[in-house]
Amino acid sequence: MPLSPDYIVRETATNLWRNRLMTIAAVLTVAVSLALVGAALVLKQGAANAEVEWQRGTQVEVWMNPTSSLSENHAISNELAQLPYVHACSFHSQLADYHEAQKLLTTSEFSALTPKTTPASYRCTPNQPQDAQFVVNRFKGQAGVLKVGAPLQQIHTMEETITVLQWVFVAVALVLLLSAGVLILNTIRMAIFARRREVSVMKLVGATNWFIRLPFMSEGLIQGLVGSLVAASVVFGLHELLNSLSNNSTSVLAQMRLSGWEIFGTDAIVIVIGALIGTVGSAVAIRRFLDV
Amino acid sequence: MIRFDNVTKVYKSGTVAVRNVSLDIQKGEFVFLVGPSGSGKTTCIRMLLREELPDRGRIWVAGREIIHMPKWRVPYLRRNVGCVFQDFRLLPNKTVFQNVAFALEVIGRPKNVVETQVPQVLELVGLAKKRDALPSELSGGEQQRVAVARAFVNRPLILLADEPTGNLDPATSQGIMRLLDRINRTGTTVVIATHDAALVDWMRRRVVELDQGTIVRDQARGVYGIDATSGSVPRTEVGARRTS
Repeated sequence: MPLSPDYIVRETATNLWRNRLMTIAAVLTVAVSLALVGAALVLKQGAANAEVEWQRGTQVEVWMNPTSSLSENHAISNELAQLPYVHACSFHSQLADYHEAQKLLTTSEFSALTPKTTPASYRCTPNQPQDAQFVVNRFKGQAGVLKVGAPLQQIHTMEETITVLQWVFVAVALVLLLSAGVLILNTIRMAIFARRREVSVMKLVGATNWFIRLPFMSEGLIQGLVGSLVAASVVFGLHELLNSLSNNSTSVLAQMRLSGWEIFGTDAIVIVIGALIGTVGSAVAIRRFLDV
Repeated sequence: MIRFDNVTKVYKSGTVAVRNVSLDIQKGEFVFLVGPSGSGKTTCIRMLLREELPDRGRIWVAGREIIHMPKWRVPYLRRNVGCVFQDFRLLPNKTVFQNVAFALEVIGRPKNVVETQVPQVLELVGLAKKRDALPSELSGGEQQRVAVARAFVNRPLILLADEPTGNLDPATSQGIMRLLDRINRTGTTVVIATHDAALVDWMRRRVVELDQGTIVRDQARGVYGIDATSGSVPRTEVGARRTS
């Protein structure tokens, strides 16, 4: 049956206006629900970003014996350069470590040190935090090496925390998405229930199911899109707020900061979910009224 | 045009709505289905629209067996069967013109056809001057005329009416019957389920009486009750007399 776009546009516009209270209810339901889903996704992404930031800061320190020979130093340096799981290394001379110790240690502790007795060190970033253990195992007890240090326990704890945090945010997002889906479906169903008489008249005069379904689906699409656009704006606002709060700060908030593309991606997900829930929700909600 | 072949319908509650009904209605006939409430008149109308399916038997409408018809074909069946109900079933937010035009729009008729056919049928039912009125601004009789116009605008082969005068006063009811009679004279088969004895007696058309789901009388040019002057006519005689 020919189904003109003109008819769909006209019916959609008329119905949206005529049922404006229901339309507003559906749009608000979509907006609130998806804003929560979007916020959970932003937090999940933020946790992932914080992990990356933190991984970048993970260092293994290979302290050289102050009495180590030049060849021992070269051997360690070459070996570090060749290890595939070491991302980068920097060499800190005895003098540089001496000055650093001056900043970090108390006066009484520092007084025991001289540049000659201060060990030189290699500060290395492993590719993955868990690779730190390999670096420790590799250099511990090697000729010329005084000590190898890595925050292994902290690495383990932090990794577990972030993994749990990410799963929590994903679970929250899924639960919110499910409740959003049910709420939206219910709102659309109520809107269609109020118009069941119209649907029965359409069936009576020989309208096909698609003829009846399409204007409802396009209504659902518009409600879902408008609601999700509002939700996307809220998510963007939240992102901006977090950014302004974390400016010039080294706190967790700063580490969780999302890039423009990441927030764009989250907003795109929210909008696609809104459009899908609106359209598919309408199609599902009207199904029972079509079976006449 | 319409044929019931040993049709039985039992509702889930166990109520037998229609029991072994066999009936032939020819093209262009005007038939009253009469009987008390619960006799099975409405169930027959609903089965003709395929709103209900029988448990046994077969039904043909406009040459098609409709029981085994796939669901997607049902809308196309309904385009050949106009229908009028006691409660009018008009869309309250659409004008008279829009209500009638709606029946053409849903089957994809082009705008120019709608613009031509709707005024014609509104003229036929005497509502040309009220084309822009909303149903709430019309009397019951006028609303039923709109419903008849909507059912007929597509020039269906069959027009079914379920208690079309149930909500109307006697004078208005007669007006609706005259209208249905005019439609019948265009060649459309008209089947009316009613328990309005006065109208059936006044029209003197074929009467099929149902009682507890069974056909107990099928009388050409009959009346609502047993006609003392002509008596009931055996069903086979009605079938033999069919000429139109």
